[in-house]
Amino acid sequence: MLVNAGGSRYSLAMDPLTLETLAALARERGLSLSERELAGLLPLVETGRVAIGGLDALLARDDEPASHFHIL
Amino acid sequence: MSDLVWQSIGDLARAIASKKVSPVEVAQAHLDRIAALDPKLKAFITVTAESALAEAKAAETAVMSGEPLGPLHGVPLALKDLYCTRGVRTTGGSRILADWVPEADATVVTRLAGAGAVSLGKLNMHEFAFGPEGLNQHYGTAWNPWDANTHRICGGSSSGSGSAVAAGLCAGTLGSDTGGSIRIPAALCGLSGIKPTYGRVSRAGVLPLAWSMDHVGPMCRSAADCALMLNVIAGYDPRDPSTSVLPVPDFTAALTGEVKGLRIGVLRSFFLESTGVVLRQAVEEALKELEGLGATAHDVNLATAKYAAGASSAVIGPEAYAYHEAWLKERPQDYGDDVRERLRVGAFVSGGDYLKGQRARARIRDEVNAALGGADVLVCATTPLVAPAVGQSEIAVGQDKVPVRASLIRYTRVFNLSGHPAASIACGFTAGGLPVGLQIVGRPFDEATVLRVADAYQRVTDWHRRRPPIDPPATTA
Repeated sequence: MLVNAGGSRYSLAMDPLTLETLAALARERGLSLSERELAGLLPLVETGRVAIGGLDALLARDDEPASHFHIL
Repeated sequence: MSDLVWQSIGDLARAIASKKVSPVEVAQAHLDRIAALDPKLKAFITVTAESALAEAKAAETAVMSGEPLGPLHGVPLALKDLYCTRGVRTTGGSRILADWVPEADATVVTRLAGAGAVSLGKLNMHEFAFGPEGLNQHYGTAWNPWDANTHRICGGSSSGSGSAVAAGLCAGTLGSDTGGSIRIPAALCGLSGIKPTYGRVSRAGVLPLAWSMDHVGPMCRSAADCALMLNVIAGYDPRDPSTSVLPVPDFTAALTGEVKGLRIGVLRSFFLESTGVVLRQAVEEALKELEGLGATAHDVNLATAKYAAGASSAVIGPEAYAYHEAWLKERPQDYGDDVRERLRVGAFVSGGDYLKGQRARARIRDEVNAALGGADVLVCATTPLVAPAVGQSEIAVGQDKVPVRASLIRYTRVFNLSGHPAASIACGFTAGGLPVGLQIVGRPFDEATVLRVADAYQRVTDWHRRRPPIDPPATTA
């Protein structure tokens, strides 16, 4: 039996993203971004996270990823 | 202006092979038209006039000496500027690669040359193919020929391809399609274009946007011309491990004009709900036309289509970022503002979310396959709107204002995620003279049926024969 069968322990995907968090993530990825650039990115990243988070409603736990090489 | 520029690829190839016209005359007519119109249209990034005339001269010599001729012998084509061309700069519509000259041709470029095509040059595009509008702040944004007075977008990312073929600057072109980049400009410029099945056409030597969603395909003025080009470029390529070993049918032979008994699944829910009235009417009229030819139609719903935006964000962002990461860190100032920002977003998608997108793709693909179990093709509008003006970020659709960028890809990206073949053909015009596109989707590796339906429709309609109002004034002797 799965320990976390009820869902992921890490629900960060749906937590509000702050400018500080985005700045930390950018630094971790080696991106040197100004505050202005980060402020411009924030809504785009947040929109993407919400859209990707919405995929949970579609997916079952055992859905495998598409492996598009030679699948068709 | 010579009428040669409006000839179909098939007619040009026949006229050249039968010595009714010289390939040099054909190439020169197109080069003259490029010289007259392209300063305004900005369809080309690089015109290779000298080598085009040399290729045409060699093609003429081959004709006169009775050598075997390829199916595109002497036909002037042009390439979206993300196809590697040996000795000719390949910019990807970017400043990053402004001076990059590849040492080898893309596989499809080699195949077109082997079929006898003459290359006129490299076409404008949205920078690195990352945008459905076809904007480009480095080389100027290509002008949609269907409005001579207002600078309207061609759609993208294959914007120069749309402009050039619609304006008669070349007989056909190769576009590429990651979220709709062949079908959107085909729709907005009144052309025929097909995104083949993922794996049907090699992407070796084609600058990537997102490896698992990139497709290569032709854009022409008719489905019959698309079939001719697809015949040449399709098939297994050892340079591209994603290409299929399945045999390639003769797509031209499939164009029988016959659709009697063909079952059409009509995508109304989601695909027509936010579409402008005129576009909906054009699609419904096209359906009636096909039913009049003996096809039958029934409604089909793709419930997973609403997840396409999320899946697309999860997949395209990280794949594009992976390709651009080093440049983004070393030369961020060399990207256009919109593309740089969009590429950076991909840095913040986790590995788990990427796989979530790929898992969603499997569900979307399965549902499209299921829909095509009860239908031979699916049809819907290609885009919910016609070509907006450059700079217009929102457009009115009925009572609503919708964002241009998200709307342009709303109906097309589903089939990049699923990998199914999908074409766009013109099915009408607005009162203002802007073209409307009809999307036709087929089963995996059944481009033949998609093209057969498109061609059958074009045999009984003339939307694809209309010419945009951009001819230069006639010169007096």
